[in-house]
Amino acid sequence: MRRIESQIDTNAADYKANYAAMSERLKEFHARQHAARYERPQRDFDRLARQNKLGVRERLELLLDPGTPFLEFSTLAACREYDGAVPGAGVVTGIGIVQGREVAIHANDASVKGGAWYPHTVKKIVRLLDVALENRLPVIHICDSAGGFLPLQHGVFPDRYLGGRVFRNQVKLSQANIPQIAVVGGHCTAGGAYVPTLSDYNIIIEGTGAIFLGGPPLVKAATGEEVGVQELGGAVMHTSVSGTGDYRAATEQHAFSLAREIVSQWKRTPKTIIETASFEEPYYDPKELYGIIPKDRKTQFDMREVLARIVDGSRFHEYQPDYGTTMVCGFAHIWGYKVGILANNGVLFNDSSLKAAHFMQLCNQNRTPLVFFQNITGYMVGREYEERGIAKDGAKMLMAQGGSVVPKFTVIANASYGAGNYGMCGRAWDARTLFMWPQAEIGVMGADQAANTMADVKIRQLQREGKELTEEEIAAIREPVLEKYKRDVEAYTSTSELWDDGILDPADTRNALGMSISASLNAPIEEPHYGIFRL
Amino acid sequence: MQRIFQIDGVETDCWLGHDGSRFVLNTPTGAVACQLDPTGLPGGYKLRAKGVVRELRLAVGPEATFMHMDGRTYEVGRVDPAERLAGSDGGASDDRLVAPMPGVVVSVAVKPGDAVEEGQPLLVIESMKLETTLTAPRDGVVAEMPFAEGDSFGLKDILAQLAPEEE
Amino acid sequence: MTISKLLVANRGEIAARVLRTAKARGLETAVLRHVAEQEGPAHLIADEVVMIDGPTPVAAYLDISQIVAAATKIGADAVHPGYGFLSENAGFVAALERAGVTFVGPTSEVIDLMGDKVRARAFVEERGFPVAPSAIEDDDPASFVERARAVGYPLLIKPSAGGGGKGMRVVREDSTLETEIETARREGERYFGDGRLFVERYIERPRHIEVQVMGDGQGNVVHFWERECSIQRRFQKIIEETPSPALTPEQRGEICETAAGIARAVNYRGAGTVEFIYAQDGAFYFLEMNTRLQVEHPVTEMVTGFDLVAEQLRVAAGECLSAAQADIPQIGHSIELRICAEDATADFRPAIGDILLLDEPMGEGIRVDSGILDGGKVTTDFDPMLSKLIVHGRDRAQAITRARNAVQNYVVLGVTTNTGYLDEILAHPDFASGDVSTGFLAEQSETLTAPGEDVSDLLMAAAALSDERLVSDVMQIPEMYRKMGGWRN
Repeated sequence: MRRIESQIDTNAADYKANYAAMSERLKEFHARQHAARYERPQRDFDRLARQNKLGVRERLELLLDPGTPFLEFSTLAACREYDGAVPGAGVVTGIGIVQGREVAIHANDASVKGGAWYPHTVKKIVRLLDVALENRLPVIHICDSAGGFLPLQHGVFPDRYLGGRVFRNQVKLSQANIPQIAVVGGHCTAGGAYVPTLSDYNIIIEGTGAIFLGGPPLVKAATGEEVGVQELGGAVMHTSVSGTGDYRAATEQHAFSLAREIVSQWKRTPKTIIETASFEEPYYDPKELYGIIPKDRKTQFDMREVLARIVDGSRFHEYQPDYGTTMVCGFAHIWGYKVGILANNGVLFNDSSLKAAHFMQLCNQNRTPLVFFQNITGYMVGREYEERGIAKDGAKMLMAQGGSVVPKFTVIANASYGAGNYGMCGRAWDARTLFMWPQAEIGVMGADQAANTMADVKIRQLQREGKELTEEEIAAIREPVLEKYKRDVEAYTSTSELWDDGILDPADTRNALGMSISASLNAPIEEPHYGIFRL
Repeated sequence: MQRIFQIDGVETDCWLGHDGSRFVLNTPTGAVACQLDPTGLPGGYKLRAKGVVRELRLAVGPEATFMHMDGRTYEVGRVDPAERLAGSDGGASDDRLVAPMPGVVVSVAVKPGDAVEEGQPLLVIESMKLETTLTAPRDGVVAEMPFAEGDSFGLKDILAQLAPEEE
Repeated sequence: MTISKLLVANRGEIAARVLRTAKARGLETAVLRHVAEQEGPAHLIADEVVMIDGPTPVAAYLDISQIVAAATKIGADAVHPGYGFLSENAGFVAALERAGVTFVGPTSEVIDLMGDKVRARAFVEERGFPVAPSAIEDDDPASFVERARAVGYPLLIKPSAGGGGKGMRVVREDSTLETEIETARREGERYFGDGRLFVERYIERPRHIEVQVMGDGQGNVVHFWERECSIQRRFQKIIEETPSPALTPEQRGEICETAAGIARAVNYRGAGTVEFIYAQDGAFYFLEMNTRLQVEHPVTEMVTGFDLVAEQLRVAAGECLSAAQADIPQIGHSIELRICAEDATADFRPAIGDILLLDEPMGEGIRVDSGILDGGKVTTDFDPMLSKLIVHGRDRAQAITRARNAVQNYVVLGVTTNTGYLDEILAHPDFASGDVSTGFLAEQSETLTAPGEDVSDLLMAAAALSDERLVSDVMQIPEMYRKMGGWRN
């Protein structure tokens, strides 16, 4: 494969301006992430200390192999909900390495509202278990939760993808022969009691861990029986009397050592083999991405410059380089794994849609995972394009993309508007992981168009009522709509709502994709098959 | 992956990594890139670490590694922290020996006030045609031996009780 | 009286060493082995191994009737006792005599005489050989203080029933003599329930010098020169050498002739050693005579070129010695190091363990008398001495260099040994200059066991990289993750 010859001048003024703007954004992003991870009211830290519990981050370090990465999902989930009082949605999820094996980790953060489950907590856990199911990743649950957050129980409990889905997914994992371990480092009450009990293995930390359907206050209220936490559901009782618990751990350290030991007992199933090459760092420095991504979202940029800072050796074998040029397709390696890349260099036309559909079929035939780099404002509109069947060609692209059997990964690098989001494997299209860059936006259309469209509807309505509007009055209608819309399409809104698996520093994209691809190969790849292409 | 190494009674927590081209031993005071190549002599190796190359002779015992380097012999104890922890008893051990099933006391080996060591037989019971020796769960002093030879006992009866441990 | 089959009633390095000579002389050979004992080099050399049993392994090697019965059973016509165990046991000699088996060593009478320290000393003193001035209270309690005063200062008061240094008091001035005697008496009563005392001249910074003698029991006695054994730890020799750096040629002649004279006085048969205490002023006094082959005999062999075991076997078979005094040279310098399983940094606690790797030094001027095998096990059943490293050089400096080189390359892994400690002794400037006394090791203990260069990181790196499970656990981590390291997004 040939190296991409970068045309970027790192001394150019716009490069430097872009770099400065992105650095500012990242400073904010990293600060928010740090706050979500580590900043809590002192009383929460005091409570953990009093309970003799380690923090969730310390627990993770005890669990993971030293010197190995942890790909954390949705670090800023719920950042725009609950007045920001539930950082990370009160739970840490991600893919880590235990005894050399990829595992999915779900760890309650008891420093946030005692680990209570908020609607976004449930969404984040369900997503993690979906990742585990799709990629056949063993799951380690670190349980320490006060239970569902009752004032918001309607957002936690009843619907298809709410609380019950956590346990349903646990059952499906077990059914699929994917092992789970629960380390009980706090209370598992009511529904929470099923996390450890539906796990193949559970470990209860003596003194702090407890499992019961109803805690002591509920028992007293229900039956009048007075009973302490330890007698009701402590480690000794469950490991020696009820058999609900498997292992009794004297300390947190002991518990995670046991968990690691259990993982080392598991059979190592061979991973799906795809084409690989030896690793090569990108020839161009990934940090140069900061200067490549325009500070103004509407400025066009060449995705090849982005790819050159993510793929192995900056090498890229481009497919149909002179056809459908708004759609860049080609092969590259990421951390040695051969992937097929689809990246937007402009709006999708008929030819670029057909090229994408064809390329995806090639990759399915070759068992080559797909990586999408989105910067898409949509499919081309207008009479000429409708006549050429742009909707039909877009449907072909969706049919090829949606019907793909190879693992797909999506990076929303800049714009993700309209049906372009669908064609380029947006959230609804089962990307194994989907990450956003901090300046990226997602919505049915760009903020200006949307604001104009919505303002126009209002203005026309008023005009029908015979009102003449001044420039100022039009602006007064338009501005609030624009402001709200701008906020709604921001990456922070998306990540708060778990429409993605997290915001990434662009320089971390290569590692995040490497881990995602490697994890995906725990699941087999089926024979390719498709629905009906509208020809 | 972690090890606790012990040299002259001093324990050091370390973990070994490999970055794809070389091993790195991470110690509390820093990371040591290192390489060990056999020289062909029995147990003979060339160690490269911290910018030096040393020839050494080495033998790996079950709990310690023995090394001969520059005319001196060293013993480095190895503990797998996971094993140390995982092997440790789950919490403070019980002070009581509880009957696992009903049966009859065959013999009693200790009396209240006796100092016992962990694993020391306290009494022999018979149930389901099997004789079982029950041993002290920890070092301690016998507080009570409620049953005498020939006595029958029921499920979960306390067969022996140790005095509580002093903090 | 010829010998055709020899039973070595010993074990370890000395059994192997005796068996080698016996085999070289064409004898049939046999050696003992306790049922619970590890296989040693001797068991591989001997034509026959006789299993013995006893309440403890050491007890078995001290079991006269069992060993005599073993000798009879296998048809051995001679028994070599080695050193230690029954080598100076007159009862054993008598029992062998009754069974018609030759004892390779002196007569039981001589063993008896020399085994009784008081009688031996009197015997030697009566014949005009030098003994340290002393006075025994029991001889005449009334005149004890007066006789003690006559011994001269400094003097040492010892309880008659004593041992291990308890109750010993050094008196340097006449004014304190009587109060010290009373104190020593009280201590003797307290420790041993016996307040009787004796005094002897206290020798400041003494050296231990001994002389190898050999007699044929027919009046011919020669000496094989001296050995200096001042490097002692709690009365246990650990480095011996010959010639002694302390002696002038005249003193050497004098001390060796004195030793030969004492041996002649008892019409000595076989190999023996006369031990002297040597004062800094050049005076020397008879200490005791060991009526057996000594542990340190190889240094004598290295400088004289004689095989002392071969001489023992000749004499035991009724032949005469192979050499006259004039034929016995003293060429170059030899040093012996006792390799012991003990931890010099932990108060010389005996060490045990499996020998995981053994690589003993070889080369010009190096001899190893070893009692261990690669793969063997060191237990506390026997003495912690595993082997002896003996070197020879053209002079003392070369011998020290060779000894250091050899001991640094003496690889015993799996059980702690004193090789590093021995090297520290050899490296000490006072050892190099020969300025030592029997108190040297105690005086220098801190210097000799001081921690060396801190190589912990190197040791841990080697321990980590040779830990197969650790390495395999690390390498099980996919390469990508190892390269990413502790990355967090």
